[in-house]
Amino acid sequence: MTTAPPPDRPSTWRSLLRSPLFDIVQFFILVALVFWVFARGTAELGYNWHWYRVPRYIYTLDAETGFTPGPLLEGLKVTFQISGISLLLSFAIGLLTALFRLSDSFVARMLARFYLEVSRNTPLLIQIFFIYFVLGPVLGLDRFISAVLALSLFEGAYASEIFRAGIVSIARGQWEAAYSLGLSGYQSYRHIILPQAIRRILPPLTSQAISLVKDSALVSTIAIYDLTMQAQAIIAETYMTFELWFTVALMYLAVTVTLSLVVAIMEKRFKVLT
Amino acid sequence: MSTVEMAADSAKADPIIRVDRISKTFANGVRALVDVSAEVQRGEVVVIIGPSGSGKSTFLRCLNGLEEIDRGHIVIDGIPLDDDKGHRLEIRKEVGMVFQLFNLFPHLTVLENVDLAQRLVRRKSREEARATSLELLTKVGIAEKADSYPGQLSGGQQQRVAIARALAMMPKVMMFDEATSALDPEMIGEVLDVMKALAREGMTMVCVTHEIGFAREVGDRVIFMENGSIVEVGPADIFFSNPREARTQKFLSQIL
Repeated sequence: MTTAPPPDRPSTWRSLLRSPLFDIVQFFILVALVFWVFARGTAELGYNWHWYRVPRYIYTLDAETGFTPGPLLEGLKVTFQISGISLLLSFAIGLLTALFRLSDSFVARMLARFYLEVSRNTPLLIQIFFIYFVLGPVLGLDRFISAVLALSLFEGAYASEIFRAGIVSIARGQWEAAYSLGLSGYQSYRHIILPQAIRRILPPLTSQAISLVKDSALVSTIAIYDLTMQAQAIIAETYMTFELWFTVALMYLAVTVTLSLVVAIMEKRFKVLT
Repeated sequence: MSTVEMAADSAKADPIIRVDRISKTFANGVRALVDVSAEVQRGEVVVIIGPSGSGKSTFLRCLNGLEEIDRGHIVIDGIPLDDDKGHRLEIRKEVGMVFQLFNLFPHLTVLENVDLAQRLVRRKSREEARATSLELLTKVGIAEKADSYPGQLSGGQQQRVAIARALAMMPKVMMFDEATSALDPEMIGEVLDVMKALAREGMTMVCVTHEIGFAREVGDRVIFMENGSIVEVGPADIFFSNPREARTQKFLSQIL
Protein backbone atom coordinates (compact mmCIF):
# COMPACT_ATOMS: atom_id res chain seq x y z
CA MET A 1 0.00 0.00 0.00
CA THR A 2 2.57 2.55 1.06
CA THR A 3 4.89 1.81 -1.85
CA ALA A 4 2.30 2.53 -4.50
CA PRO A 5 2.42 6.13 -5.74
CA PRO A 6 -0.75 8.15 -5.35
CA PRO A 7 -2.11 7.68 -8.84
CA ASP A 8 -5.12 9.94 -8.67
CA ARG A 9 -3.64 13.15 -7.28
CA PRO A 10 -2.48 14.89 -10.48
CA SER A 11 -5.65 13.94 -12.29
CA THR A 12 -7.82 15.32 -9.47
CA TRP A 13 -5.95 18.60 -9.62
CA ARG A 14 -6.36 18.70 -13.39
CA SER A 15 -10.04 17.92 -13.33
CA LEU A 16 -10.51 20.69 -10.74
CA LEU A 17 -8.74 23.12 -13.08
CA ARG A 18 -11.00 22.10 -15.88
CA SER A 19 -14.28 22.19 -13.99
CA PRO A 20 -16.69 25.09 -14.51
CA LEU A 21 -16.37 25.73 -10.78
CA PHE A 22 -12.86 27.01 -11.38
CA ASP A 23 -14.11 29.43 -14.03
CA ILE A 24 -16.77 30.72 -11.69
CA VAL A 25 -14.26 31.27 -8.90
CA GLN A 26 -11.99 33.11 -11.31
CA PHE A 27 -14.86 35.30 -12.39
CA PHE A 28 -15.79 36.27 -8.83
CA ILE A 29 -12.21 37.06 -7.93
CA LEU A 30 -12.08 39.35 -10.95
CA VAL A 31 -15.33 41.09 -9.99
CA ALA A 32 -14.17 41.54 -6.41
CA LEU A 33 -10.91 43.02 -7.65
CA VAL A 34 -12.68 45.48 -9.92
CA PHE A 35 -14.98 46.56 -7.11
CA TRP A 36 -12.10 47.05 -4.75
CA VAL A 37 -10.19 49.25 -7.21
CA PHE A 38 -13.34 51.16 -7.81
CA ALA A 39 -14.23 51.66 -4.18
CA ARG A 40 -10.70 52.86 -3.45
CA GLY A 41 -10.84 55.28 -6.38
CA THR A 42 -14.13 56.87 -5.44
CA ALA A 43 -13.18 56.99 -1.78
CA GLU A 44 -10.14 59.04 -2.80
CA LEU A 45 -12.40 61.33 -4.82
CA GLY A 46 -14.79 61.74 -1.92
CA TYR A 47 -17.69 60.79 -4.21
CA ASN A 48 -21.05 60.11 -2.64
CA TRP A 49 -22.95 57.35 -4.38
CA HIS A 50 -26.67 57.75 -4.84
CA TRP A 51 -27.54 54.52 -6.60
CA TYR A 52 -30.92 54.41 -4.92
CA ARG A 53 -32.00 57.44 -6.96
CA VAL A 54 -31.20 55.84 -10.31
CA PRO A 55 -34.11 53.41 -10.86
CA ARG A 56 -36.72 56.13 -11.10
CA TYR A 57 -34.96 57.43 -14.23
CA ILE A 58 -35.28 54.03 -15.83
CA TYR A 59 -38.89 53.32 -14.93
CA THR A 60 -41.48 53.88 -12.23
CA LEU A 61 -44.00 51.39 -10.96
CA ASP A 62 -47.07 53.02 -9.53
CA ALA A 63 -50.18 51.40 -8.07
CA GLU A 64 -52.36 53.84 -10.00
CA THR A 65 -50.56 54.43 -13.28
CA GLY A 66 -48.74 51.11 -13.41
CA PHE A 67 -45.48 50.83 -15.35
CA THR A 68 -44.14 54.12 -16.69
CA PRO A 69 -40.89 54.17 -18.62
CA GLY A 70 -38.44 56.77 -17.34
CA PRO A 71 -36.32 59.08 -19.48
CA LEU A 72 -33.57 56.48 -19.88
CA LEU A 73 -35.92 53.90 -21.34
CA GLU A 74 -37.42 56.57 -23.59
CA GLY A 75 -33.90 57.38 -24.70
CA LEU A 76 -33.16 53.72 -25.31
CA LYS A 77 -36.21 53.57 -27.56
CA VAL A 78 -34.86 56.45 -29.65
CA THR A 79 -31.43 54.79 -29.77
CA PHE A 80 -33.13 51.62 -30.98
CA GLN A 81 -35.04 53.45 -33.67
CA ILE A 82 -32.03 55.34 -34.97
CA SER A 83 -29.69 52.35 -34.81
CA GLY A 84 -32.19 49.95 -36.33
CA ILE A 85 -33.02 52.10 -39.34
CA SER A 86 -29.39 53.12 -39.82
CA LEU A 87 -28.29 49.51 -39.63
CA LEU A 88 -30.60 48.42 -42.45
CA LEU A 89 -29.71 51.45 -44.52
CA SER A 90 -25.98 51.11 -43.93
CA PHE A 91 -26.03 47.46 -45.06
CA ALA A 92 -27.98 48.40 -48.16
CA ILE A 93 -25.55 51.24 -48.91
CA GLY A 94 -22.61 48.99 -48.13
CA LEU A 95 -23.78 46.23 -50.46
CA LEU A 96 -24.52 48.69 -53.25
CA THR A 97 -21.14 50.37 -52.85
CA ALA A 98 -19.36 47.01 -52.87
CA LEU A 99 -21.18 45.98 -56.06
CA PHE A 100 -20.31 49.34 -57.63
CA ARG A 101 -16.66 48.90 -56.75
CA LEU A 102 -16.61 45.44 -58.30
CA SER A 103 -18.59 46.42 -61.39
CA ASP A 104 -17.22 46.80 -64.90
CA SER A 105 -18.35 50.40 -65.11
CA PHE A 106 -15.60 52.94 -64.58
CA VAL A 107 -18.06 55.62 -63.43
CA ALA A 108 -19.63 53.29 -60.85
CA ARG A 109 -16.21 52.32 -59.50
CA MET A 110 -15.09 55.95 -59.22
CA LEU A 111 -18.34 57.00 -57.57
CA ALA A 112 -18.07 54.23 -54.99
CA ARG A 113 -14.42 55.01 -54.37
CA PHE A 114 -15.13 58.72 -53.85
CA TYR A 115 -17.95 58.08 -51.38
CA LEU A 116 -15.88 55.51 -49.55
CA GLU A 117 -12.83 57.70 -49.10
CA VAL A 118 -14.78 60.79 -48.06
CA SER A 119 -17.00 58.93 -45.65
CA ARG A 120 -14.30 56.81 -44.07
CA ASN A 121 -11.72 59.52 -43.71
CA THR A 122 -13.73 62.23 -41.97
CA PRO A 123 -15.01 62.15 -38.37
CA LEU A 124 -18.59 61.02 -37.88
CA LEU A 125 -19.26 64.05 -35.68
CA ILE A 126 -18.43 66.38 -38.53
CA GLN A 127 -20.57 64.37 -40.93
CA ILE A 128 -23.50 64.64 -38.54
CA PHE A 129 -22.99 68.42 -38.25
CA PHE A 130 -22.56 68.77 -41.99
CA ILE A 131 -25.73 66.89 -42.82
CA TYR A 132 -27.81 68.53 -40.11
CA PHE A 133 -26.59 72.13 -40.34
CA VAL A 134 -25.62 72.37 -44.02
CA LEU A 135 -27.69 69.86 -45.97
CA GLY A 136 -30.58 69.85 -43.49
CA PRO A 137 -31.92 73.36 -44.19
CA VAL A 138 -31.39 72.95 -47.95
CA LEU A 139 -33.09 69.57 -48.29
CA GLY A 140 -35.50 70.06 -45.42
CA LEU A 141 -34.18 67.22 -43.28
CA ASP A 142 -35.23 67.11 -39.65
CA ARG A 143 -32.99 66.02 -36.79
CA PHE A 144 -33.97 62.39 -36.87
CA ILE A 145 -33.53 61.98 -40.63
CA SER A 146 -30.21 63.85 -40.56
CA ALA A 147 -28.96 61.57 -37.80
CA VAL A 148 -30.05 58.40 -39.57
CA LEU A 149 -28.56 59.60 -42.86
CA ALA A 150 -25.22 60.53 -41.30
CA LEU A 151 -24.94 57.24 -39.41
CA SER A 152 -25.95 55.14 -42.42
CA LEU A 153 -23.52 56.85 -44.76
CA PHE A 154 -20.66 56.64 -42.28
CA GLU A 155 -21.17 52.99 -41.31
CA GLY A 156 -22.13 52.06 -44.88
CA ALA A 157 -18.61 52.89 -46.01
CA TYR A 158 -17.17 50.38 -43.56
CA ALA A 159 -19.86 47.82 -44.34
CA SER A 160 -19.06 48.11 -48.05
CA GLU A 161 -15.47 47.07 -47.46
CA ILE A 162 -16.69 44.07 -45.48
CA PHE A 163 -19.11 43.11 -48.26
CA ARG A 164 -16.42 43.55 -50.89
CA ALA A 165 -13.97 41.37 -49.00
CA GLY A 166 -16.65 38.71 -48.60
CA ILE A 167 -17.54 38.75 -52.28
CA VAL A 168 -13.96 38.55 -53.55
CA SER A 169 -13.23 35.74 -51.08
CA ILE A 170 -15.56 33.43 -53.01
CA ALA A 171 -13.55 31.22 -55.36
CA ARG A 172 -13.51 32.15 -59.05
CA GLY A 173 -14.76 28.67 -59.84
CA GLN A 174 -18.13 29.52 -58.32
CA TRP A 175 -18.57 32.36 -60.78
CA GLU A 176 -17.42 30.18 -63.63
CA ALA A 177 -19.81 27.38 -62.71
CA ALA A 178 -22.68 29.84 -62.45
CA TYR A 179 -21.85 31.49 -65.78
CA SER A 180 -21.40 28.14 -67.50
CA LEU A 181 -24.93 27.20 -66.49
CA GLY A 182 -26.20 30.31 -68.23
CA LEU A 183 -26.90 32.38 -65.09
CA SER A 184 -26.77 36.14 -65.52
CA GLY A 185 -24.54 38.35 -63.42
CA TYR A 186 -27.46 39.27 -61.17
CA GLN A 187 -28.57 35.65 -60.77
CA SER A 188 -25.02 34.59 -59.94
CA TYR A 189 -24.77 37.23 -57.23
CA ARG A 190 -28.22 36.55 -55.87
CA HIS A 191 -28.14 32.75 -55.74
CA ILE A 192 -24.48 31.72 -55.66
CA ILE A 193 -22.08 34.44 -54.51
CA LEU A 194 -23.96 36.47 -51.90
CA PRO A 195 -25.44 33.53 -49.95
CA GLN A 196 -21.91 32.19 -49.51
CA ALA A 197 -20.36 35.59 -48.85
CA ILE A 198 -22.94 36.49 -46.18
CA ARG A 199 -21.96 33.48 -44.12
CA ARG A 200 -18.35 34.56 -44.15
CA ILE A 201 -18.95 38.21 -43.37
CA LEU A 202 -21.46 37.74 -40.58
CA PRO A 203 -18.84 38.08 -37.80
CA PRO A 204 -17.23 41.32 -39.08
CA LEU A 205 -20.67 42.65 -39.98
CA THR A 206 -21.76 42.10 -36.39
CA SER A 207 -18.81 44.12 -35.12
CA GLN A 208 -19.90 46.82 -37.51
CA ALA A 209 -23.46 46.72 -36.20
CA ILE A 210 -22.17 47.01 -32.64
CA SER A 211 -20.03 49.97 -33.62
CA LEU A 212 -23.09 51.57 -35.12
CA VAL A 213 -25.11 51.21 -31.91
CA LYS A 214 -22.29 52.79 -29.93
CA ASP A 215 -21.62 55.50 -32.50
CA SER A 216 -25.29 56.43 -32.41
CA ALA A 217 -24.50 58.14 -29.08
CA LEU A 218 -23.04 60.96 -31.17
CA VAL A 219 -26.47 62.00 -32.40
CA SER A 220 -26.99 63.55 -28.98
CA THR A 221 -24.86 66.42 -30.31
CA ILE A 222 -27.70 67.59 -32.50
CA ALA A 223 -30.07 67.38 -29.51
CA ILE A 224 -31.76 64.11 -30.29
CA TYR A 225 -32.98 62.64 -27.03
CA ASP A 226 -31.39 59.24 -27.34
CA LEU A 227 -30.01 57.29 -24.41
CA THR A 228 -26.88 59.42 -24.17
CA MET A 229 -28.70 62.73 -24.42
CA GLN A 230 -31.20 61.70 -21.74
CA ALA A 231 -28.34 60.78 -19.45
CA GLN A 232 -26.67 64.14 -20.01
CA ALA A 233 -29.90 65.92 -19.22
CA ILE A 234 -30.44 64.00 -15.99
CA ILE A 235 -26.84 64.54 -14.92
CA ALA A 236 -27.23 68.27 -15.48
CA GLU A 237 -30.10 68.22 -12.97
CA THR A 238 -28.86 65.73 -10.42
CA TYR A 239 -25.02 65.64 -10.62
CA MET A 240 -25.10 61.83 -10.40
CA THR A 241 -22.42 61.61 -13.06
CA PHE A 242 -20.97 58.19 -12.32
CA GLU A 243 -24.22 56.43 -11.49
CA LEU A 244 -25.88 57.48 -14.71
CA TRP A 245 -22.96 56.90 -17.04
CA PHE A 246 -22.48 53.42 -15.62
CA THR A 247 -26.17 52.70 -15.99
CA VAL A 248 -26.17 53.94 -19.55
CA ALA A 249 -23.05 51.92 -20.37
CA LEU A 250 -24.76 48.81 -19.03
CA MET A 251 -27.81 49.51 -21.16
CA TYR A 252 -25.67 49.84 -24.28
CA LEU A 253 -23.87 46.66 -23.27
CA ALA A 254 -27.18 44.81 -22.91
CA VAL A 255 -28.14 45.82 -26.45
CA THR A 256 -24.83 44.92 -28.06
CA VAL A 257 -24.41 41.63 -26.23
CA THR A 258 -27.92 40.62 -27.29
CA LEU A 259 -27.00 41.49 -30.86
CA SER A 260 -23.87 39.32 -30.67
CA LEU A 261 -25.83 36.40 -29.27
CA VAL A 262 -28.48 36.58 -31.97
CA VAL A 263 -25.79 36.58 -34.67
CA ALA A 264 -23.99 33.69 -33.02
CA ILE A 265 -27.19 31.66 -33.27
CA MET A 266 -27.64 32.69 -36.90
CA GLU A 267 -24.07 31.70 -37.71
CA LYS A 268 -24.59 28.26 -36.30
CA ARG A 269 -27.72 27.78 -38.35
CA PHE A 270 -26.18 29.00 -41.62
CA LYS A 271 -23.03 26.97 -41.26
CA VAL A 272 -21.88 25.39 -44.54
CA LEU A 273 -19.85 22.25 -44.86
CA THR A 274 -16.89 22.72 -47.15
CA MET B 1 -10.66 9.04 -100.77
CA SER B 2 -11.55 6.45 -98.16
CA THR B 3 -15.07 5.92 -96.90
CA VAL B 4 -14.14 7.27 -93.50
CA GLU B 5 -13.02 10.55 -94.99
CA MET B 6 -16.08 10.78 -97.18
CA ALA B 7 -18.34 10.24 -94.20
CA ALA B 8 -16.45 12.91 -92.31
CA ASP B 9 -16.83 15.28 -95.26
CA SER B 10 -20.58 14.93 -95.47
CA ALA B 11 -20.94 15.46 -91.71
CA LYS B 12 -18.86 18.63 -91.98
CA ALA B 13 -21.78 20.33 -93.64
CA ASP B 14 -23.09 21.43 -90.25
CA PRO B 15 -20.50 21.49 -87.50
CA ILE B 16 -21.89 22.43 -84.08
CA ILE B 17 -18.68 24.21 -83.08
CA ARG B 18 -16.69 26.28 -85.52
CA VAL B 19 -13.51 27.97 -84.33
CA ASP B 20 -11.72 30.19 -86.79
CA ARG B 21 -8.17 31.34 -86.07
CA ILE B 22 -8.61 32.45 -82.47
CA SER B 23 -5.76 33.96 -80.48
CA LYS B 24 -5.50 34.79 -76.83
CA THR B 25 -2.74 36.50 -74.88
CA PHE B 26 -3.05 36.75 -71.11
CA ALA B 27 -2.51 40.02 -69.27
CA ASN B 28 0.89 38.77 -68.11
CA GLY B 29 2.02 38.41 -71.74
CA VAL B 30 1.68 34.63 -72.00
CA ARG B 31 0.46 33.64 -75.46
CA ALA B 32 -2.08 30.98 -74.61
CA LEU B 33 -3.59 30.48 -78.06
CA VAL B 34 -2.12 31.32 -81.45
CA ASP B 35 -4.37 31.14 -84.52
CA VAL B 36 -6.25 28.04 -83.43
CA SER B 37 -8.92 26.70 -85.78
CA ALA B 38 -11.09 23.64 -85.24
CA GLU B 39 -14.49 22.18 -85.91
CA VAL B 40 -16.60 19.76 -83.94
CA GLN B 41 -19.41 17.82 -85.64
CA ARG B 42 -22.69 16.93 -84.03
CA GLY B 43 -22.45 13.73 -82.03
CA GLU B 44 -18.70 13.74 -82.19
CA VAL B 45 -16.40 13.11 -79.23
CA VAL B 46 -13.28 15.21 -79.56
CA VAL B 47 -10.43 14.71 -77.14
CA ILE B 48 -7.83 17.41 -76.63
CA ILE B 49 -4.47 16.30 -75.25
CA GLY B 50 -1.16 18.01 -74.80
CA PRO B 51 1.45 18.95 -72.21
CA SER B 52 0.43 21.30 -69.41
CA GLY B 53 0.53 24.91 -70.48
CA SER B 54 -0.24 23.98 -74.06
CA GLY B 55 -3.43 26.06 -74.03
CA LYS B 56 -5.93 23.20 -74.15
CA SER B 57 -7.90 24.33 -71.07
CA THR B 58 -7.82 27.94 -72.28
CA PHE B 59 -9.15 26.79 -75.64
CA LEU B 60 -12.04 25.03 -73.94
CA ARG B 61 -12.79 28.01 -71.69
CA CYS B 62 -12.88 30.31 -74.73
CA LEU B 63 -15.62 28.20 -76.28
CA ASN B 64 -18.22 29.26 -73.69
CA GLY B 65 -16.84 32.72 -73.11
CA LEU B 66 -15.17 32.15 -69.75
CA GLU B 67 -12.09 33.62 -71.40
CA GLU B 68 -12.20 36.47 -73.88
CA ILE B 69 -10.45 35.93 -77.19
CA ASP B 70 -8.31 38.67 -78.71
CA ARG B 71 -8.81 37.70 -82.35
CA GLY B 72 -10.75 35.17 -84.41
CA HIS B 73 -14.31 33.86 -84.44
CA ILE B 74 -16.24 31.23 -82.55
CA VAL B 75 -19.65 30.06 -83.70
CA ILE B 76 -21.58 27.49 -81.68
CA ASP B 77 -24.78 25.99 -83.04
CA GLY B 78 -25.08 28.93 -85.41
CA ILE B 79 -24.69 31.55 -82.65
CA PRO B 80 -21.61 33.75 -82.88
CA LEU B 81 -19.75 34.27 -79.60
CA ASP B 82 -19.23 38.03 -79.73
CA ASP B 83 -19.72 41.11 -77.59
CA ASP B 84 -23.47 40.54 -77.53
CA LYS B 85 -24.35 39.45 -74.00
CA GLY B 86 -27.47 37.71 -75.25
CA HIS B 87 -25.43 35.53 -77.58
CA ARG B 88 -23.09 34.65 -74.77
CA LEU B 89 -25.95 33.57 -72.49
CA GLU B 90 -27.56 31.64 -75.35
CA ILE B 91 -24.32 29.74 -75.96
CA ARG B 92 -23.79 29.01 -72.29
CA LYS B 93 -27.26 27.48 -72.13
CA GLU B 94 -26.33 25.07 -74.90
CA VAL B 95 -22.84 24.22 -73.70
CA GLY B 96 -22.44 22.27 -70.48
CA MET B 97 -19.13 22.53 -68.67
CA VAL B 98 -17.52 20.22 -66.15
CA PHE B 99 -14.52 21.56 -64.24
CA GLN B 100 -11.41 19.97 -62.84
CA LEU B 101 -12.32 21.08 -59.30
CA PHE B 102 -16.07 20.32 -59.67
CA ASN B 103 -17.10 23.84 -58.56
CA LEU B 104 -20.32 22.63 -56.96
CA PHE B 105 -22.22 25.23 -54.95
CA PRO B 106 -21.35 24.31 -51.35
CA HIS B 107 -24.34 26.10 -49.79
CA LEU B 108 -26.87 24.11 -51.80
CA THR B 109 -27.80 20.44 -51.58
CA VAL B 110 -26.99 18.09 -54.42
CA LEU B 111 -30.56 18.34 -55.67
CA GLU B 112 -30.56 22.13 -55.45
CA ASN B 113 -27.27 22.25 -57.34
CA VAL B 114 -28.88 20.35 -60.20
CA ASP B 115 -32.21 22.21 -59.93
CA LEU B 116 -30.94 25.77 -59.84
CA ALA B 117 -30.21 26.55 -63.49
CA GLN B 118 -33.24 24.65 -64.72
CA ARG B 119 -35.46 26.93 -62.70
CA LEU B 120 -33.54 30.20 -63.16
CA VAL B 121 -32.49 29.82 -66.78
CA ARG B 122 -34.88 27.29 -68.28
CA ARG B 123 -37.78 28.64 -66.19
CA LYS B 124 -39.01 25.21 -65.22
CA SER B 125 -41.39 24.71 -62.33
CA ARG B 126 -40.06 23.32 -59.08
CA GLU B 127 -41.68 19.92 -59.66
CA GLU B 128 -40.53 19.67 -63.25
CA ALA B 129 -36.94 20.58 -62.33
CA ARG B 130 -36.97 18.15 -59.45
CA ALA B 131 -38.11 15.29 -61.65
CA THR B 132 -35.38 16.00 -64.19
CA SER B 133 -32.78 16.34 -61.46
CA LEU B 134 -33.66 13.04 -59.83
CA GLU B 135 -33.63 11.32 -63.18
CA LEU B 136 -30.14 12.67 -63.94
CA LEU B 137 -28.85 11.90 -60.47
CA THR B 138 -30.08 8.34 -60.93
CA LYS B 139 -28.29 8.23 -64.26
CA VAL B 140 -24.97 9.22 -62.70
CA GLY B 141 -25.70 6.79 -59.86
CA ILE B 142 -25.97 9.19 -56.98
CA ALA B 143 -29.71 9.73 -56.42
CA GLU B 144 -29.44 8.57 -52.80
CA LYS B 145 -27.28 11.62 -52.02
CA ALA B 146 -29.83 14.12 -53.35
CA ASP B 147 -30.25 15.82 -49.98
CA SER B 148 -26.58 15.82 -48.99
CA TYR B 149 -24.34 18.82 -49.31
CA PRO B 150 -21.34 18.73 -51.67
CA GLY B 151 -18.95 18.86 -48.70
CA GLN B 152 -20.29 15.50 -47.54
CA LEU B 153 -19.42 13.73 -50.79
CA SER B 154 -16.22 12.17 -52.12
CA GLY B 155 -14.46 13.75 -55.09
CA GLY B 156 -15.82 11.21 -57.52
CA GLN B 157 -19.34 11.69 -56.25
CA GLN B 158 -19.00 15.47 -56.48
CA GLN B 159 -17.82 15.25 -60.07
CA ARG B 160 -20.75 13.03 -60.99
CA VAL B 161 -23.10 15.60 -59.46
CA ALA B 162 -21.33 18.28 -61.48
CA ILE B 163 -21.96 16.27 -64.64
CA ALA B 164 -25.63 15.89 -63.72
CA ARG B 165 -25.81 19.64 -63.04
CA ALA B 166 -24.45 20.43 -66.50
CA LEU B 167 -26.72 17.86 -68.16
CA ALA B 168 -29.76 19.36 -66.46
CA MET B 169 -29.61 22.26 -68.88
CA MET B 170 -30.10 19.76 -71.72
CA PRO B 171 -27.00 21.10 -73.47
CA LYS B 172 -26.15 20.30 -77.06
CA VAL B 173 -22.44 20.05 -76.23
CA MET B 174 -20.68 18.89 -73.08
CA MET B 175 -17.20 20.15 -72.29
CA PHE B 176 -14.93 18.44 -69.78
CA ASP B 177 -11.93 20.36 -68.49
CA GLU B 178 -9.64 17.70 -67.01
CA ALA B 179 -12.63 16.26 -65.20
CA THR B 180 -10.64 13.45 -63.58
CA SER B 181 -7.33 15.18 -62.85
CA ALA B 182 -8.21 16.19 -59.29
CA LEU B 183 -9.59 12.79 -58.31
CA ASP B 184 -8.03 10.03 -56.26
CA PRO B 185 -7.08 7.13 -58.55
CA GLU B 186 -9.83 4.85 -57.26
CA MET B 187 -12.49 7.42 -58.18
CA ILE B 188 -11.42 8.13 -61.73
CA GLY B 189 -13.20 5.04 -63.04
CA GLU B 190 -16.66 6.00 -61.81
CA VAL B 191 -16.46 9.41 -63.49
CA LEU B 192 -15.03 8.01 -66.74
CA ASP B 193 -17.87 5.46 -66.82
CA VAL B 194 -20.44 8.27 -66.74
CA MET B 195 -18.57 10.09 -69.51
CA LYS B 196 -18.39 6.95 -71.63
CA ALA B 197 -22.11 6.34 -71.19
CA LEU B 198 -22.77 9.89 -72.37
CA ALA B 199 -20.60 9.38 -75.42
CA ARG B 200 -22.47 6.18 -76.29
CA GLU B 201 -25.75 8.09 -76.14
CA GLY B 202 -24.44 10.32 -78.90
CA MET B 203 -23.72 13.45 -76.86
CA THR B 204 -21.36 15.87 -78.56
CA MET B 205 -18.36 16.09 -76.27
CA VAL B 206 -15.12 18.05 -76.10
CA CYS B 207 -12.82 16.63 -73.46
CA VAL B 208 -9.50 17.97 -72.27
CA THR B 209 -7.97 14.97 -70.54
CA HIS B 210 -4.88 13.05 -69.62
CA GLU B 211 -6.74 9.75 -69.75
CA ILE B 212 -5.32 8.19 -72.88
CA GLY B 213 -7.32 5.01 -72.38
CA PHE B 214 -10.53 7.05 -72.41
CA ALA B 215 -9.40 8.98 -75.48
CA ARG B 216 -8.72 5.75 -77.34
CA GLU B 217 -11.92 4.08 -76.32
CA VAL B 218 -14.52 6.80 -76.91
CA GLY B 219 -12.70 9.56 -78.79
CA ASP B 220 -13.70 10.01 -82.44
CA ARG B 221 -10.98 12.53 -83.06
CA VAL B 222 -7.96 13.64 -81.10
CA ILE B 223 -6.47 17.13 -81.12
CA PHE B 224 -2.90 17.47 -79.92
CA MET B 225 -1.93 20.94 -78.74
CA GLU B 226 1.42 22.41 -77.83
CA ASN B 227 2.49 26.00 -77.10
CA GLY B 228 -0.93 27.39 -77.89
CA SER B 229 -1.23 25.78 -81.32
CA ILE B 230 -2.79 22.65 -82.72
CA VAL B 231 0.01 20.33 -83.79
CA GLU B 232 -1.97 17.40 -85.08
CA VAL B 233 -5.60 16.33 -85.50
CA GLY B 234 -6.68 12.87 -86.42
CA PRO B 235 -9.12 10.01 -85.91
CA ALA B 236 -8.38 8.45 -82.52
CA ASP B 237 -7.31 5.03 -83.76
CA ILE B 238 -4.88 6.42 -86.33
CA PHE B 239 -3.67 9.19 -84.03
CA PHE B 240 -2.47 6.81 -81.34
CA SER B 241 -1.22 4.00 -83.55
CA ASN B 242 0.36 6.12 -86.22
CA PRO B 243 1.01 9.76 -85.29
CA ARG B 244 2.44 11.87 -88.11
CA GLU B 245 4.19 14.70 -86.29
CA ALA B 246 7.47 14.21 -84.49
CA ARG B 247 6.24 16.32 -81.55
CA THR B 248 3.15 14.14 -81.21
CA GLN B 249 5.28 11.00 -81.26
CA LYS B 250 7.53 12.47 -78.57
CA PHE B 251 4.58 13.42 -76.36
CA LEU B 252 2.92 10.05 -76.75
CA SER B 253 6.14 8.22 -75.98
CA GLN B 254 6.42 10.22 -72.76
CA ILE B 255 2.94 9.42 -71.47
CA LEU B 256 2.26 5.93 -72.80
